[in-house]
Amino acid sequence: MNESAIRAKEIIIGYSGRPLRIMEVCGTHTHEIFRLGLRKLLPPQIDLISGPGCPVCVTAVGFIDEACWLALEKGCIICTFGDLIRVPGTEMSLAGARAKGADIRPVYSPLDAVALAKEHPDRQVVFLAVGFETTTPSACLAAKQAKDAGLANFSLLTANKTMPNAYQALVGSADAFLYPGHVNAITGNATCIRLCEEQGVSGVVAGFTASELLTALAVTIKLLEEGKTFFRNCYPRVVKDEGNPAALRMMQEVMEPCDSEWRGLGMIPASGMKLRAEFADYDARLKYNMPVITGKPNPACRCGEVLQGKIRPCDCKVFGKGCTPLHPVGACMVSDEGACAAYYQYS
Amino acid sequence: MSEKTVTLAHGAGGTQTNELIDSVFKAHFANPMFTGDDAAVLPQISGKIATSTDGFIVSPWKFNGGNIGKLSICGTVNDLSCMGAKPLYLTCAFVIEEGFSMDALEEIAAAMEKTAAEVGVRIVAGDTKVAGKGQCDGVFITTTGIGEIMPQAHTSGTLAKAGDAVIVTGDVGRHGCTILIARNDFGIESDVDSDCAPLWETVQSLYDVTDEIHVIRDATRGGVGTVLYEIAGQSGVGIRLDAASVPVDPRVKGVCGMLGLEPLYLACEGRLVIFAPQEHAEQIVAKLRAGKYSQNAAIIGKVTAEDAGKVIVETEIGTQTILPQPKGELLPRIC
Repeated sequence: MNESAIRAKEIIIGYSGRPLRIMEVCGTHTHEIFRLGLRKLLPPQIDLISGPGCPVCVTAVGFIDEACWLALEKGCIICTFGDLIRVPGTEMSLAGARAKGADIRPVYSPLDAVALAKEHPDRQVVFLAVGFETTTPSACLAAKQAKDAGLANFSLLTANKTMPNAYQALVGSADAFLYPGHVNAITGNATCIRLCEEQGVSGVVAGFTASELLTALAVTIKLLEEGKTFFRNCYPRVVKDEGNPAALRMMQEVMEPCDSEWRGLGMIPASGMKLRAEFADYDARLKYNMPVITGKPNPACRCGEVLQGKIRPCDCKVFGKGCTPLHPVGACMVSDEGACAAYYQYS
Repeated sequence: MSEKTVTLAHGAGGTQTNELIDSVFKAHFANPMFTGDDAAVLPQISGKIATSTDGFIVSPWKFNGGNIGKLSICGTVNDLSCMGAKPLYLTCAFVIEEGFSMDALEEIAAAMEKTAAEVGVRIVAGDTKVAGKGQCDGVFITTTGIGEIMPQAHTSGTLAKAGDAVIVTGDVGRHGCTILIARNDFGIESDVDSDCAPLWETVQSLYDVTDEIHVIRDATRGGVGTVLYEIAGQSGVGIRLDAASVPVDPRVKGVCGMLGLEPLYLACEGRLVIFAPQEHAEQIVAKLRAGKYSQNAAIIGKVTAEDAGKVIVETEIGTQTILPQPKGELLPRIC
């Protein structure tokens, strides 16, 4: 550990003030905090809660049902980020669909799905576009590439989400947010600054190394102690106030805001992204004239409350019993970035 | 000219079967015990005998640093070696898909010959079946081996003791990472190569230092992380892992970083995890580092009486956490 990290660790360990609730919004932060055992440093009055920042976790049940429909009813090759394969749908996960003969393929990038479509002109390929501002630009690029190449056998099933309106839904859940560094690297800091100035929401942009996380947490604690609302960028080596204009332009060009359903948080207005009308040919819902599919989450699962920081994973009745990483009931138990999976694996 | 391929006739038991055996297998596996009889007759062995069998279905059949042939010898040789047994004889059974390239088969047999010769193990019997197109994928190989256990060797997964050091014989996760790259599913390029290697000499070298070797296990599917949990469970002990001391090749680190994988859970095919009393650990590592396949050997942890069945990681910020257990399908068909 470098000197500033050692100093940050001392500040965290030595905190003796009023009780604080700090929410790490980002799933990668959740994972790193567990991997580092960071909670073990915290004095009892600091409560570090995990927010809804894992793209797999917030993906609605109905989206999985839609993907299964495309795979099984329409015979499409489904290309997806690996984590999504095991997320439970109403009747089955994509892994379950695969067992029934569906062609489900994990990919690293949406562009791999475009390449696959080019290699298999006789098959229809659908990419499951989930994620936040960090992954949405690459899905947009895939749509653009497919359109430029005139590909007739590629489309996107979109459930892309954006953070600003989710923050609104989370106001009041915590004394301060640890903002997701990778998201802010794309979006810039304007939203967070506005939240601070207009609504009194405090937060710090955090990086992902041990030293960056310790520093961000120590800064948050120090500023909360001072009692004023604040915004700080503790990840300046990557996050600039203006964000990444090229990525923002790409998203603007290909997608537009839409209402979006978040697992646990419900429908949040203008918190999603969908393909613009110019890209309608690449919108799987339109292309396949998909019926309205409404997912039904397992009623025993309390992922929704976990995602809002209202309960801890272990407060859920099925946690660790009916619901484990091998047999997940809820999405938060699937991804390594999910709060339930992290709690389960590290306890 | 079209490429020569294996046909169903090669598996029908007639002239063409004999041709295949003579031209490929006998040409590479020839030794006095590999006869045309129904079974190989072997001389008496004086010590205790270890035997092991293993099937290999890796896809693709050829990868950077080896092929399924080399892997099929290393796999069984290493299983025997882990019991302190000198590998003496192997049998091999091939299931070949109709249409598989004869040149590829030749390359596989040549790799088997070379690896077996390096260890001094003899291939004494074999079987060839040809499956119809689509009934298997390329070639599947099963090898069975027998070895003679060194009198001083007494190792088992149940014998780890509090106070033992945990040693790994090299950097972890290279084979799994290599197969991942070779499949090209993720559009990532890297020149990472498999650690696939026969480890009998490596095992032998341990006994030059001490006979007090409690556990030797080769970290194949599931990687070193899985081995640690297996031993913690079988021996009823806890393991403290010093995460920073686990050797990982920078290329593997890079690929794992991109894909969100943990190198500790990626397969190795040429790495041993060794449990031996702390007082011998430094000497064992020094000895290993002089060996051909264990130059990056390192002490990565210790065994404790408390936290039985658990692997606890010492993290870089000075806390302790549980090493998460691997789950589900990481990579299919890696060996």
